[in-house]
Amino acid sequence: MKFTRTVLLLILLAVSTLHVSAPQVWAQATSWKQIPIPTLPPFHPAQPKRIQLSNGMVIFLQEDHELPLVGGTARIRGGSSSEPAGKIGLVDLFGEVWRTGGTKSQTGDQLDDFLEVRAAKVETGGGPDSTSISLSCLKGDFDDVFRVFAELLQNPEFRADKLDLAQKQAEDAISRRNDEIGGIAAREAAKLAYGADNSYAREPEYATIAAIVRQDLIDWHKTYIHPNNIILGMSGDFDSARMEAKLRAAFESWPKGPELTKPEIKFDSARPGYYLIPKDDVNQSSIHMVALGTTRNNPDYYAISVFNEAFGGGFSSRLFNDIRTKRGLAYHVAGGIGTNFGHPGVLQFVAGTKSQSTIETIQALNEDIDNLAQHPITDDEIKQAKDAILNAFIFRLASPDAVLAERMTYEFYGYPSDWLDKYPMEVQKVTAADVNRAATKYVHSNQLAVLVVGNTREFDKPLSSLGPVKEIDITIPPPPGAKEAEGAKPTESNQEGKALAAKVVAAMGGEARLATIKSVKAKITLTHTTPQGDFPTQMETIIIFPDHLHAEMQTPGGTMNIVVTPETAFMAMLDQGMRDLPSSQKTETLEQIKRDPIFIAAHAKDVNVFFRAAGTEKVGDNETRIVDVNAAGAYIRWYVDPQTGHILKETYQTLSQSGPVQGETDMHEWHPMSGLNIPTVRHNKQNGEETSTATYTAIEINPAVDPRLFEKPAAASAP
Amino acid sequence: MSYDSIKRRLLPSIAFVLALVTLAAAQDIASFEKRITVKKLPNGLTLIVCERPEAPVFSFHTLVDAGSAQDPMAKTGLAHMFEHMAFKGTDKIGTTDYAAEKPALARVEVAYSAYIAERDKEVGRNEAKLKQLEKSWKDAIAAADKYVVPNQFGKIVEQNGGQDLNASTGYDETEYHYSLPSNRLELWAYLESERFLHPVLREFYKERNVVIEERRLRTDSNPIGRLLEQFNASAFEAHPYHRPTVGWMSDLNSFSATDARRFFDEYYVPANMVVAVAGDVKALQVMPILEKYFRRLPATPKPDETTTTEPPQNSERRVVLMEKTQPLYLEGYHRPDYRTKDDAVYDAITDLMSEGRTSRLYRALVRDKKLASFSAGFSGLPGTKYPHLFAFYAFPLPGHSTQEVADAIHSEIDRLKKEDISDEELKMIKTRTKASLIRSLGDNQGLANNLATYQTRYGDWRELFRSVDRIDKVTKSDIRRVANETFNDTNRTVGVIETSAGPGARGTDQSSGNQSLPDQASADRGGAQ
Repeated sequence: MKFTRTVLLLILLAVSTLHVSAPQVWAQATSWKQIPIPTLPPFHPAQPKRIQLSNGMVIFLQEDHELPLVGGTARIRGGSSSEPAGKIGLVDLFGEVWRTGGTKSQTGDQLDDFLEVRAAKVETGGGPDSTSISLSCLKGDFDDVFRVFAELLQNPEFRADKLDLAQKQAEDAISRRNDEIGGIAAREAAKLAYGADNSYAREPEYATIAAIVRQDLIDWHKTYIHPNNIILGMSGDFDSARMEAKLRAAFESWPKGPELTKPEIKFDSARPGYYLIPKDDVNQSSIHMVALGTTRNNPDYYAISVFNEAFGGGFSSRLFNDIRTKRGLAYHVAGGIGTNFGHPGVLQFVAGTKSQSTIETIQALNEDIDNLAQHPITDDEIKQAKDAILNAFIFRLASPDAVLAERMTYEFYGYPSDWLDKYPMEVQKVTAADVNRAATKYVHSNQLAVLVVGNTREFDKPLSSLGPVKEIDITIPPPPGAKEAEGAKPTESNQEGKALAAKVVAAMGGEARLATIKSVKAKITLTHTTPQGDFPTQMETIIIFPDHLHAEMQTPGGTMNIVVTPETAFMAMLDQGMRDLPSSQKTETLEQIKRDPIFIAAHAKDVNVFFRAAGTEKVGDNETRIVDVNAAGAYIRWYVDPQTGHILKETYQTLSQSGPVQGETDMHEWHPMSGLNIPTVRHNKQNGEETSTATYTAIEINPAVDPRLFEKPAAASAP
Repeated sequence: MSYDSIKRRLLPSIAFVLALVTLAAAQDIASFEKRITVKKLPNGLTLIVCERPEAPVFSFHTLVDAGSAQDPMAKTGLAHMFEHMAFKGTDKIGTTDYAAEKPALARVEVAYSAYIAERDKEVGRNEAKLKQLEKSWKDAIAAADKYVVPNQFGKIVEQNGGQDLNASTGYDETEYHYSLPSNRLELWAYLESERFLHPVLREFYKERNVVIEERRLRTDSNPIGRLLEQFNASAFEAHPYHRPTVGWMSDLNSFSATDARRFFDEYYVPANMVVAVAGDVKALQVMPILEKYFRRLPATPKPDETTTTEPPQNSERRVVLMEKTQPLYLEGYHRPDYRTKDDAVYDAITDLMSEGRTSRLYRALVRDKKLASFSAGFSGLPGTKYPHLFAFYAFPLPGHSTQEVADAIHSEIDRLKKEDISDEELKMIKTRTKASLIRSLGDNQGLANNLATYQTRYGDWRELFRSVDRIDKVTKSDIRRVANETFNDTNRTVGVIETSAGPGARGTDQSSGNQSLPDQASADRGGAQ
């Protein structure tokens, strides 16, 4: 065995010397320049077979017998760029519920069981220009899996429970979209390049997701899923003739649908200049300098490809060598003139750098761009870039699946079927003059919208040292039910607001009485609403306005004390010691004190307390006036009965254990207590769900308070 | 050029690859037997060639069996730092005049060590002298930089059509990879062997700044990165898995090129390396070429990689991060290393709990209880070579708490402990794992990676295929037994992100006053301990 191998080896090596000279093969190379590079043998990858059915469906068949697998994808014209502005997210939900909602004959859950036991997949999805449905399976299971694929394609059911699930997931994604700096920067940069309302940049919101109903999904399927909109590509271990027969049998009789009209899409780039999104929990800035790019059928495309490789591509590029290697400013730096098949790409230069070198990095990027005029891309750089593109070209043909995917893309966007074959020849023809012409035409530092997401307090210089700065607000608009609190942050009072505030003050006991209030002690029964039932707790609170709180609570584990002041925040329990509360809870509790109606009423005339009337709304049977309140930086919305001056409801942003929620409190049973008139029963809700009820049994104004109650030691347990 | 961020391992697909889950029918060994050639060179380096003549290209995977678990004390991040330096060239690549550059680089090290000695003096640091020393160090760097041809190594690879030129460092190992057209095989063999034969650690301190930016990107400025760093530090007390692969900031600001060179000399020895090539190559033709280049690496004994064994955990540990982001729940249970006889049982549990829409966690937390947008469980946090964690995690939906998803995960774990899984589930696990191996075989880079990994971990690439037999032997009672042995409260570390409101964030108010406090208190009671 070993002997045979050696002989074979000698024969093979002898053959290889026909391509390269013998001494070089055997010599120990001492430089990469001495290594022989034989000519790559000609390679003609298998081309898929194209078939068009009489109903217009285009089918590509690509045999690949390496592994016992079959895969297929149908790409269908019409995507999120065609969805209505009030229902952004429709195509995302469609792409999800198409599969999870099942077919007429089987629920999505039944499909899951059927497919997973075969290690098979049938999946659907939605994109900007198209929706898709795909399958993947072991070849022996093809007929079973294809039946599911075909039924789902033609007869989906979009069951409502799965739409509900998909909507919850979409809401979760919205709630998390500002969590990571990279995601924020990429999203907002696209909006700057395309326009905030452009259909390739806009984002779903809680309201647009909530607006989508099952009929929308059914209508979308009815409008778009027709054979003449479909390009179906199959690849894998099958015989083309037999596969063609199966596909014809399944789809030939499917009637043609109406022709689609292409949506009109406007691209409206932001004005050049500086855009800022402050984020104070990071130590690295994300910088995106953007403008509108172009499409791949632009005659400049090949020169652009070479420019991108030379200026912002890999290890060889100017940006990598200057910003990362020479200046050590960034781990990630890249960029170029972006291109797409169907719509313009984004021209962008991107870097991430420590907060302290934010301005320095923007200036360095600008220098590199400006430098293109004095130091155009050189012949050496062009050669390096073209070699890189051309030598790597083979990878675009390196699998039957890759070739199939390219062909389907050209078919979808109406590019010539030999577009890829022409690509290397066109790149070969590109000259330094072409590249520098493209650079001059498209890349100008003073025409870029420069977006910075970062921790402004740590910047080397203010961003405004470079020019006027526009701050972008990325606050997520709350869900529709909570919409009233949005924007409710008045910075001055209006007449009606002041008048209503005066009514509230009068109804609560009058300005004179309120003015004497320094502190309030209250006995409260707090009943928690839980799936297991209601749990009442007795508590006694002492608030010394504006910023001291002591609460004593009877819990099953014993008496618990909670203290919050500007200096300290802790909870203590007999036998269990004392523990600090996180500073965030301290901050929140201090704000809560300022939202107390007694506090606001007592400070209604302070210079930093504002009331703005903002319309009317029914609470129960009562027509109330809405008043947005800014109580020294704490915000709340009152629903005031104009007849009685009673606040019947409050809404506000609050935190639950799982994040920001919309809080709502219904105020009932206004009764006199210790010379004031207050709501003695308060029903609390979070995001519309009942959470608790607080019943006030007694209050005492300006009680005697032992200052030691607020001292930190473990003594802060039950007196 | 990244360290293998454990955050990425939260993605189940990647976790699968790292957890060595992939399986296939045993008869595939026979077909691969004909296409795979293994050769161990006299210096100890193992070469693997896998013939896959689908297109005139090839990929390789160089695996060095040393990772951040081998970082010396007070020099965390060094394994990853060297990985970056392996792109900086050799005595012939990346220099205009190595004879002059070499002493210039030596002067940088002398100047740096003088600067650090003064900087870190506990008593009597002289600020004026420190400034002077810093200047001398920076002047020495400038003098050495004059000989640098920047990024020449990467440029050569790119100019020759190189694809996916990259590398990564994990706790267990460091790997290097890219792909080239098949007529560049010898060029690659030269470049890859020279890279580890004559590495020159030029531009070290600038690259260190790049690595620090990488830390800021992946850890400091990323809430999940921040959580995972603290989570590992808490779950592991004795074993080096408790340290971040990217390194602590103070270590990054201290270690030197001399330290990195020392790390290289100790761990980058041929006996510690496997190089796998897959693609349009003929073993008979290329093995002699590979041998010619790689046999030049000097033979050195395999380094001592003994680590402290993590002692049994006997109480729950808990890390709570208050962040201005949405909540996340993560928990991990200590399990033995990948060589345990129960490794396949853990793989079966991963599949059952996490794979697809039939998985138990999807069905319970996402579909039925509607508590989470995603939930999964997997082995391999933060590595697999040493005893590590089996982790579960979930992203709660708005309006649901981390405690709710934790409870739901625990009731699924209880089911695993108390009830046998069904025959259908067991069959599904076995079918899926076989199919998933078949799907992984149609890709040069994936093949090279798998072959090098199995050769390193088991001493035989065939284990990739034999793992199917191991999973076929898993029984229902194995799953119950292993779940009962592993998923216990005292063996658990919990990491959560809770949402806090900082300045500028939305305030809180549950009405007028203090009704909210009991809620907050209970949230916090959960977060105490």
